[in-house]
Amino acid sequence: MAEEFNTDSMLDMFLYESGQLLEKLEGIILEKQDADCFDDSDINEIFRVMHTIKGSSGVLMYENITKVTHKLEDVFYYLRESHPDDVPHMELVEKVLAVSDFVTGELDKLKSGDNPDGDEKQLVADLDEFLGRLKGEIKKQGIEMPQANRHVEPTQFYITPVAGDDSHFYRISIHYRSDTQMSNLRAYSATYALKEVAEDLLYTPDDILSNEASSDVIIAEGFHMLLQTKSSKEEVIALIDSSEAEEINFDELTKQEYGNALGEFGRENVAPAEQPADAAKSDDKEAKKEGPKPGDYVVKTKEAGKGKTLAKNQPKQQSIISVNVEKMDSLMDLIGELVIAEAVVLQNPDLKVPGLELSNFQKASGQLSKITTELQEVIMSMRMMPLTNVFQKMRRIVFDVSRKLGKDIELEVIGENTEVDKNIIEHITDPLMHLVRNSVDHGIEEDAADRTAVGKPAKGKITLEAKNEGGKVYISVKDDGKGLNKEKLYQKALDKGLIDKPMSEFTDKEIFRFITLPGFSTKEQVTEYSGRGVGMDVVVKNIQTISGRLDITSVEYEGSEMTLVIPLTLAIINGIVVQVGNSPFVIETASIKEFVRLGDDSLIHEPSGEEYIVLRGECFPFIRLNEKYDLPDSIDKIEEGIIVVLEHEGSQVCVLIDKLLQEQEIVVKPIPSYVRKVKGLSGCTQLGDGSIALILDIAGLLMHDGERR
Amino acid sequence: MKILLAEDDFASRKFMDKQLSRYGDCDVMVDGEEAVDAFMMALEDGEPYDLACLDVMMPVMDGYQVLKAIRDIEAQKGIPKSKRVKVIMTTALNDERNVKMAFELGCEAYAGKPIDVEKFEKVLNKLGLI
Repeated sequence: MAEEFNTDSMLDMFLYESGQLLEKLEGIILEKQDADCFDDSDINEIFRVMHTIKGSSGVLMYENITKVTHKLEDVFYYLRESHPDDVPHMELVEKVLAVSDFVTGELDKLKSGDNPDGDEKQLVADLDEFLGRLKGEIKKQGIEMPQANRHVEPTQFYITPVAGDDSHFYRISIHYRSDTQMSNLRAYSATYALKEVAEDLLYTPDDILSNEASSDVIIAEGFHMLLQTKSSKEEVIALIDSSEAEEINFDELTKQEYGNALGEFGRENVAPAEQPADAAKSDDKEAKKEGPKPGDYVVKTKEAGKGKTLAKNQPKQQSIISVNVEKMDSLMDLIGELVIAEAVVLQNPDLKVPGLELSNFQKASGQLSKITTELQEVIMSMRMMPLTNVFQKMRRIVFDVSRKLGKDIELEVIGENTEVDKNIIEHITDPLMHLVRNSVDHGIEEDAADRTAVGKPAKGKITLEAKNEGGKVYISVKDDGKGLNKEKLYQKALDKGLIDKPMSEFTDKEIFRFITLPGFSTKEQVTEYSGRGVGMDVVVKNIQTISGRLDITSVEYEGSEMTLVIPLTLAIINGIVVQVGNSPFVIETASIKEFVRLGDDSLIHEPSGEEYIVLRGECFPFIRLNEKYDLPDSIDKIEEGIIVVLEHEGSQVCVLIDKLLQEQEIVVKPIPSYVRKVKGLSGCTQLGDGSIALILDIAGLLMHDGERR
Repeated sequence: MKILLAEDDFASRKFMDKQLSRYGDCDVMVDGEEAVDAFMMALEDGEPYDLACLDVMMPVMDGYQVLKAIRDIEAQKGIPKSKRVKVIMTTALNDERNVKMAFELGCEAYAGKPIDVEKFEKVLNKLGLI
């Protein structure tokens, strides 16, 4: 029962199916937006989509959706039957998108539990007008007019249960005075009074009429009721006879709590969807293909005062269940804690006592590690989602914005099946949308002539690419537009007072990065879509919250590329634990190129105090972590320590450490804000012995190193 | 209009009775078998029901069985489709498969509990009952 409060499976099915169909529809439309017309199979497909949505919305009685889809179905009916020439394709595309938007909007309302009350009149009128012209065209071309599309009105209806939003849920406990006579009858009269207003009522003990002994139970433990009703608290209280009652507790519950409380009251799971999993398993094979049958829901003759039970338990299995994201997140956190706990056990200092016989322990711990690793992989894979939907949205944006600005642009999408953690998808959708808009608006030239003048095709091109490399996801938005002009950017930043150093002090990348400064916008004119100078800085901020970054490369007249680099997962990384002085540090395994031991002769001292390492003829900047973080008791001579070569986006840096400790799965915890300004650290974690290790942030180290120079 | 209401739960029965009595005479049954009996009797008396509201979970026969029985009896007596009693299932069992099955068994509407009275009335209207 509890489930029906939150979801209605018919409604769910409608939302799911319609959502899928609409996605498919948009796919077709956007793929064919540049064609001259839809081909037969597209027309059939769109017709079918509209027909299906019309039908199911009819059964569920969402009339505005039915009307709109009905009209569009009509349009495509005529297209399908008559094949008229010279159909204004672009207009048709717009109409279909308008309908798709409308229906999507209504579906969203349904999803959030609102009434789908969108006004369809304008849209229907537009479609009518279009259909009128289409018919005129068919006549003009002398094609025989097909018989009017016959609509079969739905003859079966599904009435969705009221959402129950206006229902209140109460838990009422009545404690009678200990000398009350026949408290069971008093309790019954209370339930009787409540039945007037109850949508659902449960009480315990439940055999109050038939079992006189229940009056003792009621006196001892109180009489408890669960009530679902539309009436307010005051009305309900007024209904309960409070004489002889010592105490009445009255709690208002949320739907969720109410659902949970139903179990306490011993309500049988009457809905098949809630049959326990093992029941489903036992009958798995037969149940697989069988739906419910008449006769499955016969109620056993009711014992007086008892709740209903079904004569026959209905087995049922489901291959997909939907899970609350919060539950997934907390599972993820728990697994993170488990990984830490595992490390604490396996690397417990107590085990380091010499002479311990540990071979059985080692075996068992190997098994444990294997399982925790698998557990992590499973939870990760549960959270992974392809970028397909996000990219689909981008197609739409390119289409909308380029039409509005009158630019001719094609969008190429590569790698849309790349899978990313669900959390990350949520965080990148907005930034990506912004980048795509920027590319269309600022990237591609206003005037196609500007393009042909430099030997580029008149049609602009934007490439959206996602790939998965070395534990990171790269999502790039590339345009072949006019590119960024370094001088202009520099001048602008200077004018705005954002910088004060001469241009020669900045690298190209740094200059490009100016566009991400707050308050910077190179476009003189603010357009509807971009150019307000809020945006790029927000993009960068959003990306940084998921510890990603934005890379910008650009060649003037050839185009720009904005790349979002995002970690595949936020929570657990594979790291190497190293020691400097008495402090452990963690370095992400993926960024380590090599460990070497070198002699003093590989070291170059600059007069300015900077040091470089020469390794196989190449020169790398060198950082002594002990000096950088003022760590005492550490190794100073490089031949005694170990040099770690770290790589980050093609630039390398060497750091000196004392020794390597171990490799370990690291659960990343954020650094508290008061330490955050320390450069070169990205987080911290707990090690097996319970101590805290800091995680080195290679990008931060490099940047800091660059600033110092 | 003549209405048959089959519902074993007291609270729901009271509520439905109140609602339905606005549209016509409402006969109230408490289990599936009674509902079929009442349907037969009305048919034999030549005063068939116009509308039947059936709960699903009931003693002796469940709502789907009643629905099937009603449709079988009608088929056997050669009652044309347009003259058949309109059946609305009223239940909290609104699992998609249950709804589909009920539609296949030939009910006109399937109302999830708690019942949306406004929509319920709309459906009665569409079915040409009011």
